[in-house]
Amino acid sequence: MDKPIYISALSLVTPLGNTIEQHFDAFKNGISGIKIHEKAGFQQTAIPLAKREEITGNRYDTLLREALEKAKNAHPEISGKTAVIVSSTKGNIDLLPGDTFAETASIVHEFFPATDVLIISNACISGVIAINTAADYLFAGKYDQVLVIGIDAVSEFVSYGFQSLFALSNETCKPFDKSRNGTVLGEGCGIVLVSTQKPADFAVLYKGGSSSNDANHISGPSRTGEGLVRSIEKTFRRSGKKASDIDFISAHGTATVFNDEMESIAFGRMNLDQVPLNSMKGYFGHTLGAAGVLEIIMSIVSMEKNTLFPNLGFKETGTSVPLNIIQHMEQKALNTVLKTASGFGGGNASLILQKQS
Amino acid sequence: MKILAHSYVCPKGTFLNGKLVYDTAGEENPLKSAYQQLGAEYPKFYKMDVLSKMAFIGTELLLPFFPKDADLENDLQLIFANSSASQNTDNLFVESYEQLKNPSPSLFVYTLPNIVTGELCIRHKWYGENCFFIEEAFNPVHFSEWAQMALNKGNNCCLCAWVEAKTNGEQECFLFLLTDSEEEAYSVELELSTLIKQYRNE
Repeated sequence: MDKPIYISALSLVTPLGNTIEQHFDAFKNGISGIKIHEKAGFQQTAIPLAKREEITGNRYDTLLREALEKAKNAHPEISGKTAVIVSSTKGNIDLLPGDTFAETASIVHEFFPATDVLIISNACISGVIAINTAADYLFAGKYDQVLVIGIDAVSEFVSYGFQSLFALSNETCKPFDKSRNGTVLGEGCGIVLVSTQKPADFAVLYKGGSSSNDANHISGPSRTGEGLVRSIEKTFRRSGKKASDIDFISAHGTATVFNDEMESIAFGRMNLDQVPLNSMKGYFGHTLGAAGVLEIIMSIVSMEKNTLFPNLGFKETGTSVPLNIIQHMEQKALNTVLKTASGFGGGNASLILQKQS
Repeated sequence: MKILAHSYVCPKGTFLNGKLVYDTAGEENPLKSAYQQLGAEYPKFYKMDVLSKMAFIGTELLLPFFPKDADLENDLQLIFANSSASQNTDNLFVESYEQLKNPSPSLFVYTLPNIVTGELCIRHKWYGENCFFIEEAFNPVHFSEWAQMALNKGNNCCLCAWVEAKTNGEQECFLFLLTDSEEEAYSVELELSTLIKQYRNE
């Protein structure tokens, strides 16, 4: 990891707004994008969702175009060899029974022509893997910069699927809380610039990352946190960091009973249980393939503003290993941040961000 | 980088290092037949989707060719790709809630392409890195780049696969094992594009 790699936030479109400033305000004021939607569940039941109300047409295309437009305004000059990595679990689900990823590259090319477009679809850890892969490409010298786009839209398909697994909450998303009873689905698109050139805007350094598989179950998290532990260990090795270096953890925290319990065990095993931690699912809902990118953008905002944002929805410890869940907004020097993600297929991923000295 | 071994699974047969090992041409259920000929005792096979079934069979055949001195539990990276993601199962899941009015959880869990790598990790107790890419067509240059990047990070071996199950019935799984060596990347790329053409009878 010899050359510095910078990450900066370019755009963020979610139910909370379409500028990073609007998201900072929402997080400061504890505003959630989650609302109860009548007749949205299977059999026309009411379910909570974090849906961008402004969208009337195709949700995926609209989110993607809006975020790309904003990113182009934020970063109009593409110089050097550029790739775009899109991270998404389902792509444009409305294209079924056809190819759900068929139009993604051409939409990207409307805004960033002549870029190589790659797509990663690796469940809920896609966003973190996409950024790790972007860094790998830069280390290898194949590209000078990579735009990483995290995107997923709310759909009947995914809502009914999560309902069939009894994984959805009927009220709101309460990561790590004692009364949590499921996740809430959300949607959004976030874009970051991963570059070997130091950007003019605020940027943090990418120090290393990895993924790991639980080798345990295709849809349930490991009871021991094994995969997450191994990913964090590998990320520590690659970045030359240790538990005591970490100032803040942006955890996955879906608010399902088993996922959050698994994470608490893994963080406990890694001596990270005292590190201030949040899950941002209380603000965004679970945005699946977008989640890693969205949460990394808000982690960069946290580092820029030296602000710890509360874990919205948390009141009382609800995991067997108590964690240091952030409950009130707090100013703190944030130099080194750990981002983690876990998902279906037994996947876990993590990476470390560091403020430039 | 070099290719240690390769396998190919499709309805007409299962191949190992270019040789036909299970002839399933004309079989009503070719993957079931290949699994039975393989003789592995793994009942979970029957509930897998087509992608996982093909990758399961192809991987079992490659096991003797993994490097003996490698820490496969931690340092084997899985790099998989296809063009249609989990579209085949996606359509079955849509049918379960639109036509049968009963969203099927056992179908839903296979509506992600990376479940394939999850299944293999469970079977073989592999805790290493995984990544699933979506691309228009098999691209040997990309696979060689991804594998090189994985090896650069300290992984000592990559199990790569182009694993596709299209709604029109086209199914194939081309698996290959890559590891570090003095050989030039372009020769690996050339070999991969020749191999897949041979397997496809193009």
